[in-house]
Order: sequence, then C-alpha cells, then structure tokens
Amino acid sequence: MTTTAIDPIALEVLWSRLLSVTNEQQAALMRTAFSTVVRESQDLACGVFDTRGNMVAQSETGTPGHINAMATCMRHFMAAYPEQALAKGDVLITNDPWMTAGQINDITLVTPIFRDGKVVAYFANTCHMLDIGGRILSAEAREVYEEGIYIPIMKLFQGGERNEELFKILKANVRTPREVEGDLYAMASCNDVGGAQLLEFMHEFSLDSIDPLAEAIIERSEAATRAAIEKLPDGEYENEVYSDGFPDPVLLKAKVTIDGSNLTVDHAGSSPQSRYGINVVMNYTHAYTSFAVKCAISPEVPHNEGSFRPVKVVAPRGCILNAQHPAPVAARHLIGHFLPGLIFGALARAMPDRLMADGAASIWITMFRGAKPASTDPYTFMLFQCGGTGARPTKDGINNTGFPSGVAGVPAEVLENLTGLVMERREVRPDSGGPGTYRGGCGQFTTFADRSGQTWSMSGMYDRLKFPAQGLLGGKAGAPGGFALSDGRQANPKELLFHPSSTRVDTALPGGGGYGDPLKRDPNAVLDDVLNGYVTIEAAEREYGVIVRCSKRPDEQVSLPRHFSIDAEATAALRSRAQ
Amino acid sequence: MAGRYRVGVDIGGTFTDLILIDDDTGEQTVGKVLTTPSDPSQAVADVLKEAIERAAVPSEQIQHVIHGTTLVTNAIIERKGARTALLTTKGFRDSYEIAREHRYDLYDLFLEMPQPLVPRYLRLEVDERVYADGSVSKTPDPDQVARLVAELRDKDIEAIAICFLHSYANPAHEQLVGAIVGEIAPGVRVSLSSEVVPEIREYERTSTTVANVYVQGLVERYLNELVKRLKDLGIEGELFLMLSSGGISTVETASRFPLRLLESGPAAGALASAYYGDQAGVRNLMAFDMGGTTAKLCVIEDGQPLTSTEFEVDRKYRFKKGSGLPIKTPVVELIEIGAGGGSIARVDSLGLLKVGPDSAGADPGPVCYGRGGTEPTVTDADLLLGYLDPAFFLGGRLKLDLQATEAAIRMKVAEPLQMSVSQAAWGIHQLVNEAMASAARVHAIERGKDPRSLPLFAFGGAGPVHGFGVATVLHSPKLIVPFGAGVTSTIGFLTAPLSFDFVRTFFGQLDRIDWQQVNALFDDMAGQGDAILARSGVPESERRMSRQADLRYSGQGHEIRVDLPDGALGPDSLASISEQFERVYESLFGRTGPDVPLEAVSWRLLATGPRPEVRLRGLAGGGGDARKGERLAYFPAWGEHRPTAVYDRYLLAAGAKFSGPAIVEERESTVIIGPDASVEVDEFRNLHVEP
Repeated sequence: MTTTAIDPIALEVLWSRLLSVTNEQQAALMRTAFSTVVRESQDLACGVFDTRGNMVAQSETGTPGHINAMATCMRHFMAAYPEQALAKGDVLITNDPWMTAGQINDITLVTPIFRDGKVVAYFANTCHMLDIGGRILSAEAREVYEEGIYIPIMKLFQGGERNEELFKILKANVRTPREVEGDLYAMASCNDVGGAQLLEFMHEFSLDSIDPLAEAIIERSEAATRAAIEKLPDGEYENEVYSDGFPDPVLLKAKVTIDGSNLTVDHAGSSPQSRYGINVVMNYTHAYTSFAVKCAISPEVPHNEGSFRPVKVVAPRGCILNAQHPAPVAARHLIGHFLPGLIFGALARAMPDRLMADGAASIWITMFRGAKPASTDPYTFMLFQCGGTGARPTKDGINNTGFPSGVAGVPAEVLENLTGLVMERREVRPDSGGPGTYRGGCGQFTTFADRSGQTWSMSGMYDRLKFPAQGLLGGKAGAPGGFALSDGRQANPKELLFHPSSTRVDTALPGGGGYGDPLKRDPNAVLDDVLNGYVTIEAAEREYGVIVRCSKRPDEQVSLPRHFSIDAEATAALRSRAQ
Repeated sequence: MAGRYRVGVDIGGTFTDLILIDDDTGEQTVGKVLTTPSDPSQAVADVLKEAIERAAVPSEQIQHVIHGTTLVTNAIIERKGARTALLTTKGFRDSYEIAREHRYDLYDLFLEMPQPLVPRYLRLEVDERVYADGSVSKTPDPDQVARLVAELRDKDIEAIAICFLHSYANPAHEQLVGAIVGEIAPGVRVSLSSEVVPEIREYERTSTTVANVYVQGLVERYLNELVKRLKDLGIEGELFLMLSSGGISTVETASRFPLRLLESGPAAGALASAYYGDQAGVRNLMAFDMGGTTAKLCVIEDGQPLTSTEFEVDRKYRFKKGSGLPIKTPVVELIEIGAGGGSIARVDSLGLLKVGPDSAGADPGPVCYGRGGTEPTVTDADLLLGYLDPAFFLGGRLKLDLQATEAAIRMKVAEPLQMSVSQAAWGIHQLVNEAMASAARVHAIERGKDPRSLPLFAFGGAGPVHGFGVATVLHSPKLIVPFGAGVTSTIGFLTAPLSFDFVRTFFGQLDRIDWQQVNALFDDMAGQGDAILARSGVPESERRMSRQADLRYSGQGHEIRVDLPDGALGPDSLASISEQFERVYESLFGRTGPDVPLEAVSWRLLATGPRPEVRLRGLAGGGGDARKGERLAYFPAWGEHRPTAVYDRYLLAAGAKFSGPAIVEERESTVIIGPDASVEVDEFRNLHVEP
C-alpha cells in the first residue's frame, strides 16, 4: 500500500482510531500510578511508534519535555534491541538522560507489539520517578553519576516475566521502592492497554502493518508544518533571555532563521555548560524548541515525526543547551522551560499579534524530605507549583498555570496526608502579573511549615528570582520570585537545605509579563482587578494611570463592587500626562 | 400509596415532555408543550392538566409525579444562581481559583480557564485549622465568625459555601461555622463541604460545594412552586425528583443537595434505554442518543446505567475534559461528544476531512434547511445520501433544499478532496459515525466492557439515521430502534427506584484497618438510608442496602469501586474483597499490580426501594402493506445510489420481518438499514436489526 492508496477519509478514520488508542493508554497510566508525580501532576508522556521508530501519535496531555524527547528516543532502543532480540511480553527500560528526557529520574518504557510473530509497532511512555537514588533531586550534583542509578537500555520484563535481578537493584537503590515499583507496573500496564487496542484495530481493518498509515500521517503533517512556515516572512529573528542559573546567571540565545519552508533555531552564543545540574541535553533542547515552534505556527497540526522534520535545532556541543556526558542534568527543566519564551520573543517580530509574552517559565519543583507526624516514618515528596503565564495579544495571562510545562499541581490535602508538612497558605499574589493592555498572569504565595517536630529538608528548583518575565510590545515585566526563611537565614533555594521543625518557608512565585501599553488597558478591567485584589489600588495608579476611589470603611471586611469607582477625570489627566 | 397512575415530566431547553402511565393497563399518554423559561413550573402544570383531561384521569388517582429538569445546569452555565460567598480556611481562599495549575490543552496559547462561581472579593477566610489526621490546630473564634457573617448578611449575600481543609476527616469546624450562620443569618442558605461531598482534594470539593449552594435557592423556590401547582390540580401523590445518578429522591433531599439534579434529563434517557432493552430481553447495551448538536453514549450493564462521581459543568471548550468546573456527585456516566446533525464538515490544513465539533445549530442550521446556512453539515450529507426525504422531514413540516445542499458539499468538500459528491457525503456520514464509535469504544473500555458484546440502542432525532453505521463500526451484535423516539426519554422517569447514596471517607490499609469503625460507618449510613426510605413510604421488607468500597493498591491515587460482601465486615472478609479487587483491576489494566497491600479510601452505601414495575401494553397497530415506495439511496457497498425500499413505521406490525437495504420513516426520525441486514419487529414494535 502506498501513501496515495489511502484516501483522505480512510486516513482520517484510521488516524483518529490511533489517537484514541494513545488516550486510552494515558488513562490507564494515570489510574494505576502510585506516585503523585504521575497520578496528580501528570509528569508523563505516552505514544505509539511505527516499526521504523517514527512517532505516529501521542496522547493529548502530558508534558512537552517528555513527549518530544520520547519521540526521538526510539532509535536508541531499536539499536540496542533489534527485532530479532525481542519477544512477545518483553518490556524495555532506560533512563539515559542523553537518549531520553534529559534527567535520570525520567524512565522510559518501550513495549514491542507483536502480530503473527512480527513486531508491528512500539508503545512507549515516559514518567518521572519520585526517586532514583543518588542525591535527592536538585541542581547540586557535579556529575550525572551523583544524580542516581543509571539504567542502560535493558529488559524490565522478559517474555512477560519480571526481571527480578533488575527490580532488586532498583528497589535497593531508591528511597521510595514502593512508589517506583508501582509506577513501573503502571507504565507497563499502560503500554499493554495501548498494544491490545492496536491489535484489535489492525484486525478490524485487516492491516498487516501500520507503516503505510504512519507514512501518510507523517507526510501530511510535514507538509502542513511546511505550509505554515512558508507563510512567515523569510529572515533571521534573534532574542536572548537570562535565567538565574546556579550559582551564576545563564544567558540563553536563539536565532530563528526562516528560509522558505525550513525553520532553524540556532542556540549559539548561549552560556557554556555549568558545573552544576542545570545542564540540558540536546534531546531536551530539541523537545522544548520544537514545542515552541509548533505552538507558535501550527498548533492544529498533530504532533509526530512529520511535524518535527521541517524544524532544525542547533546548539554547539558543550554549551548549556547541549551539555556533554558526564555533566549533571537533574534540574534541566529550570533552563529548558525558558526556551518557548525565548523563541516567542524572537518570532514575535515575524508574526506580530499572535504570540504571548514571557511567563514564569520554569515550573517550581520542591523535593521535601522529613518524617511524618508522631512517627519516624520518612517521606519523600515532590511538589509542583506554577507562577503566572504571559499575557496574550487579546487576553490576560492565566494566574498560576504551567507554561510550557503541562504538569499539574498537588492538592494541599494530598500533600499533608503524605508528609509531615503543613501548607499554611496558597494565595494569588497581587501585583505580580506584569502590567500591560493585557495583564500577565499572577503568581502565588505559599508558606510551608513542619508539624512532625523533627528536622526536615527541602531542595527547591526555583528560578526567576533575579530575572523576571519580560513584557511584550510595551507590556511590563511580571514580578520576580521570592524565597524566605522565617529564621532569618539567607539561603539559595537551589541548595539542599535542612530546617529545624520551627522554621517556616515562604515562597512567592513569579508573575507573567504584560502585553501592550498598560496605559491603554481598559479602565474597567483595572477596576475589576482592584476589586478582586489582583492589582492594588496603588499599582492601578502607578502602572495603569487609573485612579480608583474606594469608599469601603476600615471596619468592613467584605468588599463589594459599589465600594470602588474610577475617577474618570483624574484618570484621563494622569493618562494624558503619562503618555 | 393509592392511585394507579404515575407521571414523568422532563423540562428540556425547548420542550417540556410528559408521560402518564396507567399501571393497571399499561396504557400510556404523552404530552408536549413549549418550555416556559421565566416560570418553568407553568409548563409542567399546563402539560399535566392537558394530559389528565385528555386521558380522563382523576387527579387523586395519581400516585406520584417524577420530575427531571435542566434548571440546575442552566443556572450554572448562565450564572443565574444566588449571590454566593465562600468561607475557607485562612490562607486558602484561592484554592478555588488556583485549581490544579494545569493546562488542559498543551498547544493552545489562547486557552481560557473555567470561571469560578464566586468572584475573589466574596471569598473570605476564617482563622481555623484542622490537620490531615483530623486533629485540631486552631478552633475558629465564634465572635469573629459572627461579625463576618453579619456583614455578609447585611450586604445581601444569599448563600454561603463553607469549605475548610480536611473537613472530610473532621467536620466540626464547618458545623460550628454553619451553625453560626444559621443563627445570625437564618435567611442565608448554607452548604458544608463535609456534607455535600466529604472527600479529599480541596479544589474539587470546594467547586462542588459552591455549586450546590449557588443553585439551592433557585431550586427550592421552583420546587415549592411546583408542589403548589400540583396541589392546585388536585394531585395528592408525592412529587419525586430524578437524580443525575438515575435514582429518585424526595423534594426535601433535592432541595438540600440540588446538585444531584444536575443531569437528570439525560439520566432519564439512559434509564429509558435500560428499560426498553430489558423489555427486548437485552440487559447489557450501549445507549446512543444523537440530536442536532451532540451525541450521548452510555453503557447499560445488567439493566442499569453505569455511574461515576466525576463530572464537569460549563466547559469552556464544550467537549474538552478539564475546561469546566469539576463537580463530584454521582452521575449516570454519559459521554457527550460534538457530533450531531448540525455538525459542520470541512477540509483542514492537512487536506483531510473533519466533521464537528462546531455546529450550525438550529439557526441557520444545515444548508438544506434553506435558512441561510452555507456550511455543509451531517444532515446535509444524510439528505444527499437519500437517507432523508426532502418532502417528509419532520413529518413534512420542513421542506429541504436539495440543490443548495449539493452545491455546498461539492464546493466545500468534494472538489477540494477530488472526489464525487456522493463519496464526499458518504465520507461525512462515515466520519461522524467513526467519531461516535470511537467515543463509545474508549468509554466502554475505560469501564472494562467489550463494545463488541453490546447491542446498540439508537434514539434521538438523528440516532436512528446513524445507528446502523455506528453499530457496524463497533461490531455491535445488534441494533435496536425503539418505537416513537419522542417518548423514549420520559419513560425513564417511571422505571427508577427510590434510591439514596451515602459515602464516608475512612482511609486504611485493609490488612490492619479498624473494621469496627468501618462497620459503625455502615451502620450509620444504613440507619440514615432506612429512615429516608421509610419517610418516602417504602415498606421495611422492600428496603435494600448495597455496599461498596473504593479501593486501591496502597500508594496509588485513584480507586476502583468494588462490591462488598453482606454482613459485618472483619479480617475474614479480606480474602474475598481482595479477590474481587484483583479481578476488576486485571480486566481494566491488563495485569495486576505489584505485591502491596490494598487500601480503602471511601465506603459507600446505596439505599434503594423496589424497582417500579412498568408494563407497557404490547403495542397493537400497524398491519397492511407497510412498504410505501422506494427512493434512491447510497450505500458504500454499491458505490452509487440505487432504488431502496421505504417503509412506514406506523404500519409495521409486531412480528413483521424484512431485510435491508431499507429506509423506515416515522415523524421524528428515519431508520436507515444497510444491505444484507435482517430486521424484525418485536411485540412492542421495536426494530431489531442484525447487520
């Protein structure tokens, strides 16, 4: 069967079937996972590959760093275990950061699917393990060897039987053996569910192979991506941003070259690789760069091998975006999550009015360790939190929502049930969204305390404490992040910190950048923000030139719309002076 | 309870439908009037009055009226609920807004999050704290709370939701603050999260509690008005409400937990499918309802619709999970997808044909309606395929424009894809069938069912047109199309037993849980269930209690619901519970989990009364030559239009047999039957089609 032999309607039918298979795969994973990292926060990706290792379809959600990194890993698995070395019931595993998702905690499982004795597809999924041994997840290691146990590509299950020796080594090396073993089972189940559905579907349509289907999907996706690139004016578009880095700031550069239907992103000029674990492997750089390009120019084109092909990503060997073994890489998301903002900033000139301002970028990850109350049972807990996203050309940014990462937060009640921690507050942070015609999304304040009475520790992978998210086209920067300890110690949150039980930790997550001139923001939108406390009355005047009068008495606790009004005359005067 | 008649009434967006059944004879009367949005009870009274007069039923002979409504859903979508404030634990007034910090669409830079029902300025904090184990860290100061409540009362707040952290483990603070509200502001409605949904995860619990109290006043006023109107009509039988779970409750319970009414109309549709299936001897089936803008699917297992406790209301992107406000309440598990007669077909940037989810709606509607629609739709494709009669649509009330339809499909679909108009129309028809079948398959598999074993039960305006195609894709063993699509849903109201569900959260690893405590929880729930059934008039001998537990491998975060054995539970029950769990787990996920103990999260009890006996009289009628002619229709096996037999549904008598291809016409719908299928009409005049 050649590509042209599949008519467009049959192709659409087969393709939507394949997508529903991957969604079932993900549903099974989340329902059976043990760690909150997978089941609450969705730090995962699922997909199906043809026999040549091309990714054909992926599940709908998940996180870009995993999805795109997983897409390019299959050739390594196929090189290590060619078809003749595989049998039904085999499940392959690795956590090689350079081959997969750039971090030793991220495990990828690959299951070959057999039909009539031949491999017809591979199902894969990548999940973040709560623990992988070595140092607790942090930016502090000097070599990848310190970051945890390395699993070369090998068989986790062989012919349906557990590889008992491997399970023994893994369980003996991690702090949370139950969660790790449980999650590995969930990952294996997830590929099983996908594989069973695929075989059913091949039977129904009498397909001996999905390769021609894959080829047709990939060709069309590539053509559509190229068509989207061609609509942009040829040229070179550059941008640079700074991350706080660890311990020194890191410069990230991108030069986007559009040449006909080809798009190249060159990261030359970015900082050299770090001595600490904030380095990014090429695979992960590629993942977030191609994610950014897709969001910007062709969000409607499905994500697969074809949509990657027209986009070329270049970074010099040894720079922080193409770090070489054995560089430490555990906190690579701190840098990787800056790439979409970096690229949007460059592309904004090629496609004005279509891109968002920079946002909080890196998701804030905290690894907590300590003891549960009234016991010495240890816990290890991984918390994800999000600041604000950048404002859009027609809409405000979103408060406390991840971008580019697709992971989810964890309920305070779940956190407190599984640890000795008390979350004392989780509040939207006023004035943290960058002012603009459209305001950046707000960050949040959180406070953590311990109630076990014992020493506890944290390792916070936080960024944007020094370099806030910049606004776009006249919009202003969002607020930078903050970190403080109640005992007065000054500390870098990226270090592993031990706290006495009495210490409280305050974090302030950064806001997103604004879009357009804040003096052009609709005064009623400013009024609404003041009423709801997203913007203070002072900031309304200072940043937006809007004078809001408040008639609420000091003894009143409840604000109502009638308490606030715009002084139209004073506002007009202030705005015309400020212009 | 006296009276041989029972009545079901459903208020939909456009029509209010009624069914009245004589339990002695099985005779049924149906009624239909336009819904009266300003005072929905008006339409109920009108349709009821008209029907009892027409059927000459003495109103005191009506045993009860069972009612379902979209009032709750509409009030939330249109933001027409009460002025509501939210009281939270200090530091957590934004949990309701921060939600799960998650983008439900990875690539859409312009996505929007669901808007909370309470704006931030009405979310206020109480200085109190309970820890995860239920222990108290800080008790609320009653004077401070009283001052805050008085201020809310004086500022015309109509409703207050109270959601404190860990109240599922210790509800004392919520109860204390609730009592203060009752004292200081007796006119203000209150919902406590520990009563509405005592389950872990503060965002989902808050969202549910707020929604409950937000619609409470509206529902209470409406139900009171309705009770009064029934009295005025001389109806002494009690008014019951259909719940979204498919159970029935009293007005009192529905007023306290109005969220339970959320999806009561569709729930009745699912129950009706179960009923018709049962009548046709089929206890397991896939119900398929397709209308103008959406299709709904529901698995019926052993005569009961499957239920779930996860629901979202007011989705920003109508069919996108995560884009709505989460509501934790028992609901009949319906999958709704954007595929209906009005779904628009277009060629996308990849040169592929896509159908839906955008819809031409009723206005302008499909091109063939001739009301200004220019985008080709599923109905347009069905018309060109010969499946609809341009002169007999809606019984001839709407003449369809064949020429404009052909031009639109030619220009927008056939030419860009370089295929014939018939092929393009078939492509549209087939793709929408695929979309529905795909949703049905994912749904069935998520619930551990094999779709190939489930007959498809098709109803709704477009369901019978597409049922054959969907059944073919799903490899359903059979397609069943009921007689009279118009009354299909309302009969569901009369088939549900009285039922009340209870849930208690009590964590514990099963190998060391305090079984005494578990038994005490069940005793408490059973006592409440028993009392409420007694109040509803169910005799003791007919009250049933069924018990379930939500279990998982210790360390997982999502549970599986497992039936529990009868009698007192104890360490001896462990083996049979574990066995049951592993059986369900393996069927869902392909393999059992690692060797770790099981853990319970919640314990559930369902108290039910007897299932009402509804015996429809065998529908006599029909006979004579039902074949009224033939017209050209397209089937893929032919690759062209050929003459196809057309039957009059009203003339098809019980016992009739014929074979496909065939078109069976009735007023509200058309049944399409492909070549080589065999058709049989049962004693209730349902069509049974075997592909």
